[in-house]
Amino acid sequence: MSSADDQTITLVSNDNVSIPVALKVAERSMLIKNMLEDIGESAMESPIPIPNVRKRASPKEVIEWCEHHKDDPATAADDDSDSRKKTTDIEEWDQKFMQVDQEMLFEIILASNYLDIKPLLDVGCKTVANMIKGKSPEEIRKTFNITNDFTPEEEEQIRRENEWAEDR
Amino acid sequence: MSTFKRAPVTHAGGNNRNSIITSLKATSMIESKPVLPAEIISTILDYLPITDLMSFARTSKRMLEMVYEDSRWVQRLQVMGLWDAGEARKRAGIGVNGNSGARKTSTTLFDAGVEEERQRKSMDAAAKAVRTSIDGFERLSLSTPSPAAPTPRAPMLDPEALLNIFSGVRSIRGSARQEYGKIYAALAPFYYDLARSRSHVDPVIFRVYRDPEQQAQMLAHLTVFARSDWAQGWRQREEKLVTMIGIFENAVLREFEQGFEAWDVDGKMHRYAHVLGVLNGGHAGIELFVQKHALFNDRLGSSMDCINQASSDNITLEPSRQFLEALSKKINEQADIIDRVFPPGEDVLHILLDKVAEDILMEYVTPLFDESHERSLPSYLKAVSGIFDQSMQFGLTLKPTKNSGKDFLTNVKSVVARVFEPHVDLYLQEEHDYFKRLAETEVDTWDKKLSQEDATTESFFMANVNRQADKKDFLSSFKKVVMMPVNVLPSLPPFGAAKTAPANRFSLQPAPSPRLSGSPIPSRPQTPGPAPALTGISSSLPSEAPTDELAAKAALMASRLEGIRSLFSIEIALDLTHYAKSSIERAALFVRLGGQTGEEAREQCLTIFVDLLQILGNRHVKVGFDKAVDHLSKYNPREVSEHQQGVAPLVTFLELVNVGDLISQMIDVFYEQQLASPKLADRNDFLDPAVVAKKKFEQMLDERVAAGLNKGIDVLMDEVEYVCATTQAPTDYNPPHSPSGNYDIGPTKCAKQVVDIVESHTKMLTGSTDKTMLDVFNQEVGLRLFTALCKHLKRQRISTDGSIALISDMNLYFLYIRTLKNQELLEYFKALRELSQVYLIEAKHAKEMAEVIADGKRFGGVFRAEEVYEFAERRADWYTVKKDVERAMYGIGCGVM
Repeated sequence: MSSADDQTITLVSNDNVSIPVALKVAERSMLIKNMLEDIGESAMESPIPIPNVRKRASPKEVIEWCEHHKDDPATAADDDSDSRKKTTDIEEWDQKFMQVDQEMLFEIILASNYLDIKPLLDVGCKTVANMIKGKSPEEIRKTFNITNDFTPEEEEQIRRENEWAEDR
Repeated sequence: MSTFKRAPVTHAGGNNRNSIITSLKATSMIESKPVLPAEIISTILDYLPITDLMSFARTSKRMLEMVYEDSRWVQRLQVMGLWDAGEARKRAGIGVNGNSGARKTSTTLFDAGVEEERQRKSMDAAAKAVRTSIDGFERLSLSTPSPAAPTPRAPMLDPEALLNIFSGVRSIRGSARQEYGKIYAALAPFYYDLARSRSHVDPVIFRVYRDPEQQAQMLAHLTVFARSDWAQGWRQREEKLVTMIGIFENAVLREFEQGFEAWDVDGKMHRYAHVLGVLNGGHAGIELFVQKHALFNDRLGSSMDCINQASSDNITLEPSRQFLEALSKKINEQADIIDRVFPPGEDVLHILLDKVAEDILMEYVTPLFDESHERSLPSYLKAVSGIFDQSMQFGLTLKPTKNSGKDFLTNVKSVVARVFEPHVDLYLQEEHDYFKRLAETEVDTWDKKLSQEDATTESFFMANVNRQADKKDFLSSFKKVVMMPVNVLPSLPPFGAAKTAPANRFSLQPAPSPRLSGSPIPSRPQTPGPAPALTGISSSLPSEAPTDELAAKAALMASRLEGIRSLFSIEIALDLTHYAKSSIERAALFVRLGGQTGEEAREQCLTIFVDLLQILGNRHVKVGFDKAVDHLSKYNPREVSEHQQGVAPLVTFLELVNVGDLISQMIDVFYEQQLASPKLADRNDFLDPAVVAKKKFEQMLDERVAAGLNKGIDVLMDEVEYVCATTQAPTDYNPPHSPSGNYDIGPTKCAKQVVDIVESHTKMLTGSTDKTMLDVFNQEVGLRLFTALCKHLKRQRISTDGSIALISDMNLYFLYIRTLKNQELLEYFKALRELSQVYLIEAKHAKEMAEVIADGKRFGGVFRAEEVYEFAERRADWYTVKKDVERAMYGIGCGVM
């Protein structure tokens, strides 16, 4: 295990930036982990392209997150629907980590989705959920830039249909 | 969000750079935002509370679709255990046309739900008002069991209806959201209110519902509902709910305990047990009930009584029976109470029984077993199996409660089994060892005794004993005994009527039985005894009669077979089978346990049987046979001074064969009765160790018998030859001429004696070995007899007068052989009879004589002409007739010579 600690691999983002990453950190991504398992030791030397992770600093952010969480127990693969309750609230470090602008947040979510880093994806989604919480439909539309394609009557109809969920 | 999802290609890198300048403007910034794919949005939605979910739904059609997606809501219903996939499928199968209708109705139902919600809210407000005005409401409502329904709560109907909210939920594909909505509308207000409340008096739920039953019902509902809440913060909410329920449960439990202490079975106990049952199955109440139960404080009896009341080294199971009986009575009383107190659902009696088994039975049984194990092995064996049987009976007398379900008896059995499980291994081991030791000692003592008496191996001839009848008689009584339950372990009287019939138990204990039968309890007349005329001890020992009968028969047999007692004994075999029977029967009780233990017990039974065969076979029967064969081979008729009617060692041996056969049949009966019929062994399974051992035993027996018979034939023929040589007077066939012509018609003494000897020996075997072997034996005897006779004949000189005697001798032999019913053999003796006529022909009829000699057909191919010629040479007047005969035989050529 000790050798794995020091081992590094090189990731290449789509803007051709090479990023050396400790193997253990990189393996938080199930995508990379499975890839390495598939192609074996030879992959250690050659750089691994991650074309879908694009723009700005998101690889850096993702790697930062992975660094922080590298010692977490690996997420169990038995993620069936009933274990939804396992998801806990966002921990403090993650909350701080997610205090980025919305664009970056989405980037992180997309990157974690692509790289298959389930815990990071969860944290991202929860953060987005928190952003939605308590907002009116109009505010939500504004925040996420959604075009309202309802007529006012239709919207009112939906509201009445779901009146049971309003207020508490 | 939907906009850029539809045009994800538009924001390439370059575009992005340009827009940086205008990034301050919200609109353009949105343009640059990356797209979240649908599955991620879906994930995000999972983290949203219902309220926000609905707000989200109102943003756009796409989002509405996503939120309304049926699976999202089905999942929630599923988590609450309210979704019945089968029902949904059925409904879907009804058809698409019904579907839209269902949807419509559900929406209308919705409006009603909304109405309810409104009413409830207003009512809540009223309740709040009431609370603020009345301070006394600080107490938890359940401490005031009479729900003083305040007047302002006139529309109480709604909260009542909410109590059964789950029962109205239907599983319809496409309208899971509406169904969930109904539940949500009903429970969410309480739920969130409870989550927000700071103390147990706060939550609305305790104010709306005053009845502990209702409160419990609602709390139980909320617990279920909480399962569908996985929006952020659910953990805190759930914790709150759990604490609330805990507080509530404790309060109810206190009430229950008070009721318990006051033994208010139908009042408080009943009520609060039901409340607890509604709340969460009522485990806490059941536990309290079982834990504090008075049953565990009573001492029903000490297990040591079983040892102390019995004579030394013995054990009486009467106290344990009484103990179990008392226990059974108490538990049955409790079963009534349980029925009265607890709601349906949990099998309280089972839990109680578990504890009874652990705390009472275990404690009763373990020291008893340990103590008796130290004292003496037989009593230990008896104690374990006896008490086990009693416990099983005890289990049968228990009455199931309403909640016990159909497998009550199985449960009880497993409870009892658990008590005995730790003892079974040791017990089976001991049982086996005990049997083995006992059997070996038995055989050893007998061997020793034998070697002391070895010198006096006298045998008596017993030709007149009707063996087959005797054996049949003996076997039938043996069967009777085998079928009886072992008398150390008499079948227990039915427990329910236990008081009436304790007398016939432990019959082998001489000490208590007279006391019991003499006791004033009118025990006997009530149980359907086989013979009411029998009274006193004999009636209390039903197994005694056949045992005695068997013993008498055995003694009879033994006295009849006295001569061979010295080689092996049927009594020993009987004893051994008896030991085996009791051991197996005791061990077989445990087979009922089933599972691994049962299997082990079964195997142990088989092992005991195998051991029985081994000891009986190898140590006892085989040795006996070997000795008998040995005796046979040493036999030399010329050395024996006095000749009785039979050949002593052969008689001994043949009797041994009889006894061996008897033992074999006994084993067979034993196997059928003890192992095959109670399904301990499978008689069709040729790999079964018991079957293998039995086969081996029989094979061994057959081998010995065959070897012995081989020797026996030799000996018999030796004897025959000896008899021929010693008793046949030369004048028998060649009498001196007596002018009177008064011949002594009839067989000679020698022939009579020979036939007697052979016949008596062959007869002895009839029915003792299998038919084929008997046939082979007879054939061999016959052939050898034939050869011996031929040889004998050639040594004689026979005159025409003497031929009469010879013919009658040959007739005698022939008649005897005919009784053997062996056609082939008969031919030989027929030929012999024909042959003897050669001697009858007068000397002057030499020509006819020659014809007879040459006539091969006459002798059925047994003798060739040369052989007959040889016999003819034994004629007393041979030399006078020789020439004529030869001339007649060989024609003119001889004459020329």
